[in-house]
Order: sequence, then structure tokens, then C-alpha cells
Amino acid sequence: MNKYLALLSISWQNGFAYRASVFLWRFRQLLSSFFSLSIWTILYQNSEASFGYSQSQMISYIFITGIIQNVVITTSLNGLTSTIYSGQLSLLLIKPIGLFKAFAMEETADKAKNLFFALLESCLLFFVFKPQLFSVMPIHFLISIFWIFGGITITFFISLLFGAIGFWSPESWGPRFLFFTFINFLGGKFFPLDILPNLIHQLVWLTPFPFLSYAQSQLLLNRLSSTEIISGCLGLSLWILLLGLATKYFWRVGLKDYAAQGQ
Amino acid sequence: MSEEPIISVNHLSKHFKVYQKQPGLMGSIVSLWSRSYETIHAVEDISFTIHAGEIVGFIGQNGAGKTTTLKMLSGLLFPSSGSVDVLGFNPWDRKPAYQKQFSLVMGQKNQLWWDLPAMETFLLNQAIYEIPNLEFKQTLNQLIELLDVSSVVNVQVRKLSLGQRMKCELIAALLHKPKVLFLDEPTIGLDVVMQKTLRDFIKEYNQQFNATIILTSHYMGDVKELCKRTIIIDKGKKVFDGALQDIIDKYARNKILSLVFSKPITRKELARFGTITEFSEDGTNDTATIVVPRKESTKIAASIMTKFPVQDVTIEEPPIDAIIREVFKDQNRASQHHEQS
Repeated sequence: MNKYLALLSISWQNGFAYRASVFLWRFRQLLSSFFSLSIWTILYQNSEASFGYSQSQMISYIFITGIIQNVVITTSLNGLTSTIYSGQLSLLLIKPIGLFKAFAMEETADKAKNLFFALLESCLLFFVFKPQLFSVMPIHFLISIFWIFGGITITFFISLLFGAIGFWSPESWGPRFLFFTFINFLGGKFFPLDILPNLIHQLVWLTPFPFLSYAQSQLLLNRLSSTEIISGCLGLSLWILLLGLATKYFWRVGLKDYAAQGQ
Repeated sequence: MSEEPIISVNHLSKHFKVYQKQPGLMGSIVSLWSRSYETIHAVEDISFTIHAGEIVGFIGQNGAGKTTTLKMLSGLLFPSSGSVDVLGFNPWDRKPAYQKQFSLVMGQKNQLWWDLPAMETFLLNQAIYEIPNLEFKQTLNQLIELLDVSSVVNVQVRKLSLGQRMKCELIAALLHKPKVLFLDEPTIGLDVVMQKTLRDFIKEYNQQFNATIILTSHYMGDVKELCKRTIIIDKGKKVFDGALQDIIDKYARNKILSLVFSKPITRKELARFGTITEFSEDGTNDTATIVVPRKESTKIAASIMTKFPVQDVTIEEPPIDAIIREVFKDQNRASQHHEQS
């Protein structure tokens, strides 16, 4: 078996080692999506439309965003800082395996697992909340797939950047917590970003956060103009480039400073 | 032994900058904006060469620089200065062609996947090191048999004993038949029986595959039994490189006489011949252990035999641990003298 496929396989096996843990992890995810959809259903009980969205559009938005976030923002690299700081990274560094490729495989295993369960849970939520199915233009569908991969790449680079803190400090919880606060607010999980005041909405588009699910959902709901799609493509590419270069730089410096702590 | 060394280390140094915290709460508060750092010379200007098939013992106190040296040889740490060549590679380049030829086993770091059976790690390593199926099966069966772990390789790693886990760690590290093996405290925490099993295995592996091995250990038994050559490091510097017997000859000032007497004797009479470390009177066979100057040990043993009713006598070297302590004491004395002058 190819070394990277073997890594993918063992990551899955490891993830399924404890049944109760798997069950509780998915129950938490299901509950989060269920709460979001319930809140918006209640908010729309007395009105057909508000914030520029009809009830069915809003439910569809929350529904699609939930699935996309299961793929885009989930990461298996949350413990990377301590892996580096404790010196556990050494076990990977001495093997004939590409470091970033190995991390990418772990991420792929985690996202595939998330997507599989998210699709199963979505079937259940679909029957409860009955989101409206919109016809999507094929070109929009294709672009949204590219943007999903773009969002995955951004999350990957950001996770590696947070992980790189481990070369110098044991603690990355502060910046990581700040990042997840921004994701919750600006990633579009709980509400679409275009309900924010126009200036804030424009500023948010300058950050990488809309590409972590909001932009893709808007595209699938046919709510982006051609100009916005083009500028979205440019913005996404720019963020991938910037974060990629930053990751490369910090890891190169970090590996030179790596202390391989412990015995 | 081939003529070209397999490992060449030239003037290798590694310095770390470490933060010095002032004591107390104020020290913590001040450290938020002002910190002082100290440079630690973990390894300082070390040079040596090692040939194929050698087992070399790396001895030193905690923090002497043994593990740091091994980490530089493995390509984990970037040297501050100097150069390293292992099997024709610069370890820091981390080339797969080099990584496929060496293994680093750290007694306190686990490469086995904790929640899965060891067999899963073996299969993963087969893929990572690109070992053909047939070769993998043969090597695995051979290692499993040598270490007697057939009944545990399919059990979750976290449920294995320390000894079983260490054996499986060794298998995982040796599946690709490395030519160079860096063993960092492989017997740490193991009981004496398990230590012996692992020593025998390391010796067997060295002979069977002509592997070059560098071993660090706090257990002198490991070094004594496995290594003909020893490198002693103290405070980052190499202080001795040679045969273990040479250290004994140079630093062992005494020998130990173990005596069994057929008739009772008095402690006072025996004390004239050396320092008594053990004396037991049971009325029939009194026994004693005395430490005597090394150069006069034979003469003193002969005198004791003529003056006392000796039933049995053995002359032994002092424990290797004690001799190594002498080496470090000697080094300390030398460095203090150097500082004073």
C-alpha cells in the first residue's frame, strides 16, 4: 500500500477506536446544526421574509453552511502545537515521509469521516426542517467545489501556522480561541454575513473567513453576482498564496529552531 | 571492519538559548516585558568516527549532551557548528535515502499508535519504508520470534506492559533493517530480566546484520555487556574515547577481594590489609569484602591467605559505575584546577 494511503487508513482506524467517543462527537455536531436550524425556524414564524432572506432561503443557507463547515473548518491538527513542543514530532521527522503530505493525509482522513457522517445526519435534518431545493447553475456548482477546496487549504495552512507556535511556545490556545471566535462570527455558521451593516460586510470580505463556508453557500444559493464571483476567486487565491508563504516561512525557521524536547 | 568510517563527526557543537526566570511572582510579571537568556553549550566541539559493525556506548551524566548528539546524527537538530556525515549523508538534509538506513529508538518516546495494536504500526512502517511484502513478513517473523512477542502484537498498545511495548518499539524500528541504529536509553524502566533480553537481542542484531550501533544508557550493565568502545561526554565535551578496559585500567584505583574463611577471624586483624566494606560472622564460615589498592592486590591476597584460614578468595574489578564516577570526579577536579589557574 502507498505510504500516504496507509497513513489515511491508520488515521481512520485510530478515530474509530472508541465507539462512545465517536457517538458523542457526532451527537454534538448534530445538536449544533439542529439548534441553528431551530432558532431560524422560530425567528421566521411570524414573518415570511426578513434580513433579505425568505424563510426557505435562510433554512437552506444554514443547512448548506452546516454541511460545508463539516468539511472546511474541521481539522485533525488541533494538537499540533503540543506535538511539536513535546518533541513528538521527531518520530515523524526521522521517517522517509513528507511532513506536510503526512499532515494533509491526516486532515483528509478527518474531513472524509466528517463528510460521511454529516451527509447521514443531513438526511435526518432534511426530513425535519425540509429546506427548499434550489436549482444551481452548473458553473456555480463547479466554482463552489473549487472554493470548498480553497477553504480546506486555508484551514490547513492556518492550522499549520497555529501548530508552528509549538516551535517556540507550548501554548497556542489564546490565538486559536480568537480564531474560532472569528470563525463562529464571520464564517457564517449562525447567520449569513450580508445581514451585517454594509461597511462591515465589505470589510469581512477582505478577510479569509467568508471563504470558510459563507461564500460557497451564497454561490450555491445563486446570491452572488459575476463581479462578486470574480473578486471572490481573486481574494481566495490571494489568501491561499499569503498563508502558504507564511506557513512555508515559519516552518522553515521553526524546524531550524526545533529543540526535539524530551529524551 | 571497513576502512572508511560510517559515521564522521567533526567539531560538532549545539548551543541552546534558554530563558532565565527571576524567582517569585514579581519575576513572572517582569518577564512579561523583560527577559534574560543564557546560552547553554549542550554539545561543544565533539569529534569522533565510527566504523561499520561497531557498538559504541555513549556515557555521560544527565544533560551531558548524549541525546543531543544522537538527535543531530538523526537530523532532528540543526548543529550550531561543525559537521556530521552518516553513511555519506548530511543528516539535516533529511533525505529519504538516508532515513531508510537508520533508526532512532528513544526509550521514552513511543512511535507505536497507542490505541491500536502494534501490528498496525508495523504495517504502516512497511508502507512508509516501502518494504516488499515477502521481506516484511520474513523480517517481522524473525523479530517476533527473537523477542518472543507473538501473543501481543495484536493487542492494543496501551494494554501492553512496558517491556512488551519496548520490544514492539524495537520491532517497529528494525523492520527496514537499518544499517545504523541510535538507541537512546532503550532499557530505561525495565526490570533486570527484560534488560538482559534486550541486550541479548541488540547483540544478536548487531552480529546478524553487521549494524552500527550507538547506545546511550544509564545502566552500566548495558554498556559493559554490549560495547567494546565507549565515548564519555561531560558537560558537552568528549572526555574519553576508547576501549572500556582502558577506562578501567586508567581510573580503577582499587580491586575488591571477596573472602570466605574456614575459621572465625576478627575484623580488627583483617582491617590492616584494606578497607572492609562487608564483614559477616556466622560462627562457621565468616565472609568479608575488602577494597585494596589495585597494584598491590595480588600481594595482599597472598598475605591474607598465609595469615588467615582462607577457604575461598576472588579478586574483582570495582563496579563500572564506580569507575565512571571516578572519571567525572577527575574531570571536575581538572576543570576546577583550570579555573583557579
